[in-house]
Amino acid sequence: MYSIIVVPPPTTEDDRQQIRLAPGERLSFGRAPGSGLPIPHDGVSRRAGEIVAQGTFWILSNLSARQTYVVENPEGAGEHIKVGPGRLDAPVPFEFSRIVLPAAGDLLPVEVWAPRHDYLDDDAEPDGEATAAAFSVDRTKRYFAVLAALCESRLRGDPHAPLPTVDQVVDRLRPAWPAASRTSVQWNIDYLAVKLRLKPGPESADPGPRLNGKKESLVSLALRFDVVREDDLVVLSGSASRAAR
Amino acid sequence: MTEPYAVPVPKGYRVGVWEVREPIATGAFGSVYTARRTERSPDLPDSAALKFLPTGTNTPRQLSHLRELVEREVTLYRRLERPRLLRMYDTLVVDDPGRPVLDGATVLVLEKAEGSLSVLLSAAPRPDAGPALLAQICEGLAQLHAAGWVHGDLKPANVLLMADGSARLGDFNMAAELEGTHAYTPAFSTPDYTPPELLWAEIGDRGRRIRPSADVWAFGVLAHLVLTGAFPLPGATATARRDAATSYARGTDELRLSPELPDAWREIVRDCLARTHADRITTEPLLRRVEAAAGTGDPSRLPRLPRLLRRRRRLPAAVAGVVAAAALAYGVSVLTDDGSTHAGSDGSGVSAARAAAQARYGASELRTDQGVPVQYRRLIVDSAHACSEPDVTPALIAAMLKSESDFDPNLSDPGKQEFGIARWTPAILRWWMRDDGVPASATPTPPLSPSVSVPAMGRYLCYIDNHLKSGLPGDKRVLVSAGYRTSVEKVNDTGGVPPKYRDYCARVAHYLKEYAPSGKK
Repeated sequence: MYSIIVVPPPTTEDDRQQIRLAPGERLSFGRAPGSGLPIPHDGVSRRAGEIVAQGTFWILSNLSARQTYVVENPEGAGEHIKVGPGRLDAPVPFEFSRIVLPAAGDLLPVEVWAPRHDYLDDDAEPDGEATAAAFSVDRTKRYFAVLAALCESRLRGDPHAPLPTVDQVVDRLRPAWPAASRTSVQWNIDYLAVKLRLKPGPESADPGPRLNGKKESLVSLALRFDVVREDDLVVLSGSASRAAR
Repeated sequence: MTEPYAVPVPKGYRVGVWEVREPIATGAFGSVYTARRTERSPDLPDSAALKFLPTGTNTPRQLSHLRELVEREVTLYRRLERPRLLRMYDTLVVDDPGRPVLDGATVLVLEKAEGSLSVLLSAAPRPDAGPALLAQICEGLAQLHAAGWVHGDLKPANVLLMADGSARLGDFNMAAELEGTHAYTPAFSTPDYTPPELLWAEIGDRGRRIRPSADVWAFGVLAHLVLTGAFPLPGATATARRDAATSYARGTDELRLSPELPDAWREIVRDCLARTHADRITTEPLLRRVEAAAGTGDPSRLPRLPRLLRRRRRLPAAVAGVVAAAALAYGVSVLTDDGSTHAGSDGSGVSAARAAAQARYGASELRTDQGVPVQYRRLIVDSAHACSEPDVTPALIAAMLKSESDFDPNLSDPGKQEFGIARWTPAILRWWMRDDGVPASATPTPPLSPSVSVPAMGRYLCYIDNHLKSGLPGDKRVLVSAGYRTSVEKVNDTGGVPPKYRDYCARVAHYLKEYAPSGKK
């Protein structure tokens, strides 16, 4: 029932545990060892701040004495908000955000995802009475372009086509997204697994024939529930088609 | 909100024997129209509701999930016929290359309803008939769950109200058959009626895992809405209520039900809306408590539809049509009145399995080892279930059929004017043979088939049960049977079983004991 995911700043050990917050749950961060998310860096306040999941979005409190935090939208072409020292409960509207903590010359990124953002469904009424699909995707986001690229061959009429490799996806997306890279595409695939609430891997699931690999599961789910349709493939052609809806 | 019809069908359009009339409703997945039968067809009613689902290859919405949803609905309708579930008469496929929008569309021919609970609630919030309707809705859920299915999308728009004001469940796009404790449904839901554990549930290759307790949660929401006019969880928007549901489920918030909720219902709603699925009440005990709280059975409390829902009733064209429709509803096997069952007729494993299922049908309420003919079990059990009175049980109907005719469908007693398995007098049967409560336009002529006689008996017993004075001595079920043999008035005036019918009633009481499983009354 979580609605917000916090990804701690990278550390020397490679185990960035995602922290999942349900609506109403709070997570404090700072240098103090008792913090929900300890950030052991001398440049960070003991009690640096607090994140509270608020339904589908989240709010940020800046508890530091003199540092301003910047919350960036990594896909927003420079879109950001500033949360000044002492500001409490500032709402953050982005689906993905990066809180940049200035710390004695370093900039420490804390990522916060809000995968439950709702978007108007093509044919549903937004009043809670209508039967709504369980997936709400933003067709202007990069994760949607990645999903479309993964599904493309199957949507074009070859139901058993092998899935493209990550490198092929990068090449396919480069015209519309020049900065695309292996890492960014892989990041989007990981995010999609969270977004579409893919069941965790086979170790915890019931036996029986099942699809291997995240990509395969993503594509099968997306096609089965028409998350991506043939007319959505225009997102791959780049330029004007990425205009906001 | 004005919304284009998912499947626009012009008035006067012909599909099979049907002519499309007015649109009734449209949803995310299809559109429903009234239709009139244009050709003679003994198996079909005069009018029906046609549900058009855009499954054609050239439809603009060429959606793969839609095909799956349609299959679910058709499978459920084919496999389940229960008194509280909407009935499907037929499925058709439009073959009309000239109209690409319609070509290939699947058409479900459904029993026509007068309206839905959501229409009733928007016209009259907190209807007087609320408790009675809730009892019937719960009965429908119990019938669905007992058959091993989960509805998955219970909400006012999917509760249909029939001409007599009774409620039936419809719209089985999300329904799923249980596999063990779970079923898999497509990843669609209506947020206000979705239990918290499913709100952001993980979704596997086969869809979302759902349990019957999801329907129980939805019933709790529905009951609160019907009885108080408001949702149980606070919030002005569906999103706010969804967040309230999640924080309630996490234990950070308490459930604050409306003070308008009557005490008996407060406990029921609370038990339906338990935080976790495991703590929720299961359907069987829920039904008993709902029926007790609703005090169902009193016909004066039968729902009255507001004027806007009433339409002029059309009398049936011919009694023959009614008889055939009733036969259709119960399957063909009961019509072979020669005492043989399907088993052995073709010897296949499938039919043997079907016969075995038939022989166990309703075994928890009607013993299987006491000689109740297998081919009538389903008819007896379903007819008893169509009545919400606890006294009208499968065992009572079976005991009465045994006493009346010894299960002889060909009984003919012209002297007393009594015929068939239930010894109906045709002139009286006329009043009870239609399941919508409207008298048939003509008196039926013998032979009277079991598929007509037994459901009519169930309806009449239900009426008798409601009209017996309270405080009469003796077993209520036996008093009901006396009322059937003579009349409610006689039994009320006598203050018990009239002496003339004591032998008859003793026989009924004897077989009641034989047919009811031990532990059940």
